[in-house]
Amino acid sequence: MSVADTPEQAALRSALRDLLGRGLGGDALWKRLTGELGVAGLAVPAAYGGAGAGLAEIAIAVEETGRVLAPVPYLSTALAGHVLGLSEFSPGIADGSLRAAFVFSGSVAEGRVSGHAANVIDGSSADLFVVACEDSLWVVRARDARVTPLDTLDQTRSQAAVEFVSCAAVPVGGVSRDTAEDLFRVLLAVESAAAAQHCLDVTVAYLKTRTQFGRVLGSFQALRHRCADLAVEVASARATARAAVAGDPWLLGPLAKKYCADVFLHVAAEMIQLHGGIGFTWEHEAHRYLKRAKTTQLLLGSPDSLRRLVAARAGLY
Amino acid sequence: MTDPEFRELVRGWLAAHLPASLVGAGGPGREHELVAERLAWERELGAAGWIGLGWPEVDGGRGLPWEQQAIFYEEYARAGGPGRAGHIGEQLLGPTLLMFGTASQKARFLPGILAGTAIWCQGYSEPDAGSDLAGLRTRASLGPDGQWHIHGQKVWTSLAQFADWCFVLARTSASSSRHHGLSYLLVPMKQPGVTVRPIVQLTGTSEFNEVFFDDAVCAADDVVGEAGDGWRVALGTLGVERGVSTFGQQLGFAREFSSVLSLARSSGVAEDPVVAARLTDSWIGLQVLRLTSEAAFGGDGESFGGVEANIVRLLWASWHQRLGELAVDVSGADSTVCGPSYELSDAQRLFLFTRADTIYGGSSEIQRNIIAERGLGLPRG
Repeated sequence: MSVADTPEQAALRSALRDLLGRGLGGDALWKRLTGELGVAGLAVPAAYGGAGAGLAEIAIAVEETGRVLAPVPYLSTALAGHVLGLSEFSPGIADGSLRAAFVFSGSVAEGRVSGHAANVIDGSSADLFVVACEDSLWVVRARDARVTPLDTLDQTRSQAAVEFVSCAAVPVGGVSRDTAEDLFRVLLAVESAAAAQHCLDVTVAYLKTRTQFGRVLGSFQALRHRCADLAVEVASARATARAAVAGDPWLLGPLAKKYCADVFLHVAAEMIQLHGGIGFTWEHEAHRYLKRAKTTQLLLGSPDSLRRLVAARAGLY
Repeated sequence: MTDPEFRELVRGWLAAHLPASLVGAGGPGREHELVAERLAWERELGAAGWIGLGWPEVDGGRGLPWEQQAIFYEEYARAGGPGRAGHIGEQLLGPTLLMFGTASQKARFLPGILAGTAIWCQGYSEPDAGSDLAGLRTRASLGPDGQWHIHGQKVWTSLAQFADWCFVLARTSASSSRHHGLSYLLVPMKQPGVTVRPIVQLTGTSEFNEVFFDDAVCAADDVVGEAGDGWRVALGTLGVERGVSTFGQQLGFAREFSSVLSLARSSGVAEDPVVAARLTDSWIGLQVLRLTSEAAFGGDGESFGGVEANIVRLLWASWHQRLGELAVDVSGADSTVCGPSYELSDAQRLFLFTRADTIYGGSSEIQRNIIAERGLGLPRG
């Protein structure tokens, strides 16, 4: 397995990095991402307005949007495009007019969906909810649900409390609840590893320029060794996340999500420490990564619950 | 041959040839075991063509891709193949000669390594030159008899008791200092000027030795690269150590983890949630190690900044050390008692021997320096 991109993937990454570097706000960025680059529909079949690509390409876009904590519901919407396959929603997902969010705790009776979820990632901007009910996925329109946007610790990613009371729903795809949830975890792992890489890059660059005691900080062995340890963590997290994209999400989804979120949190915390006082300011970007890392770590399975899940699925006990 | 076919071939050969008495022998912490049998086994491996799998065919190797080399190491570990006596020759000296050796040096030395008949040891570290290799003091000079005459002491030399040859880094220019004026010499071990003295380690056993050179000699032609250019050659050796054998090593790790897990299950301590968490974290760490090794050695390494071997090395050494701690912890008080004559259990040996994992072959601190400098571009202090 190689961690290197194919030429097509490298072109996608480069186009994304260029657009994401322009400092656009949420709505404007979403329009350009979905219109100009068409990345929301990467997994939507070409006949339905998408690019007909797969999870590997979505992962590239998740890495790039995650690296800069782009405030758009990319991860949820692209994954919806992937798991819904061919559906009436595909063209809307592909052109960016339908933004999605996932709820993993629904139940269905006589074709109508009920349930509630307290922390739905990308929930406040969603036009539709992909609701995982036991062995099937259903789509509920946001206008049919009770959606309460939340004020979040991580202000770059929205959440909502969502309630469905016998909502009209459309059955879609043959993907199970577990698979949808595990794929979501895979993409969170991918995002975390890429964001952790960014934190390390920024920190190393800072240590090469900041001077104290007449030397650049990066020449002090105490700091060099900490950075080297972070580099080991980041490299292993990236390898694990990439392997999860290509492999079996049942085991690697929870494993990679736990490992990569833990690494991300550690690297983000070290980013603040290694920047000193400036890293503690609102102006510096470091706190946004710390908040994203902690949020990711606690949603879709805390480290402790995922550890138990991995142990059970691996048959350790 | 496809990878699955190759795997079948390796598995079949090992099943037919590996003696039961050698299964599990001679690994880390047990290199003193069954030496004669393991030397014979090395010759059997060589005769069957299992040495030098990745070397170019023109030099007598098999020219196999890394995936099949990894398969060989995996199957070897799965079968419980003994610790290799020839790995220093195969993995360090051989690749160095392939890179820097003359045609006549390759013709003289590679066949012995490939046949498993010539056992090599490495003469780098000295009492005053451990991590700081450039501080070494062993000297060599060309005598009127046309031979190199070597004086000095090497230390931590694995396999020196039964090695036929040693590649020695020695200072050959009287006025030289640091990494200038060193030469990479190929020195016969079985001669009057060479004395080997075992070092008793904290395990009570001896894998490592001190080697004393007191007017030992080697032929004028047996210098690799130019005389005085030994530092570049030695660095080349470190560079070619890509570590495909880590895949076999990791199967050994998996087996060690399984026995720790069984121990914890049978004693009931696995029901303690804190112990269960440590065991699960260890298992996750092993998976991460494997996935990282595959990315590091299977790809072009670009994403790892050219320091993939150092990253994998740090990762496995610290993982293995924690497993050693877990191994004795799950047995509790029983781990504090050993057999007569300081006979250690597997768990005790794992606990004690893994302290060396973060020291030998470039300590973890040196690995971090390399990652910081070459991988991250941080300035030297």
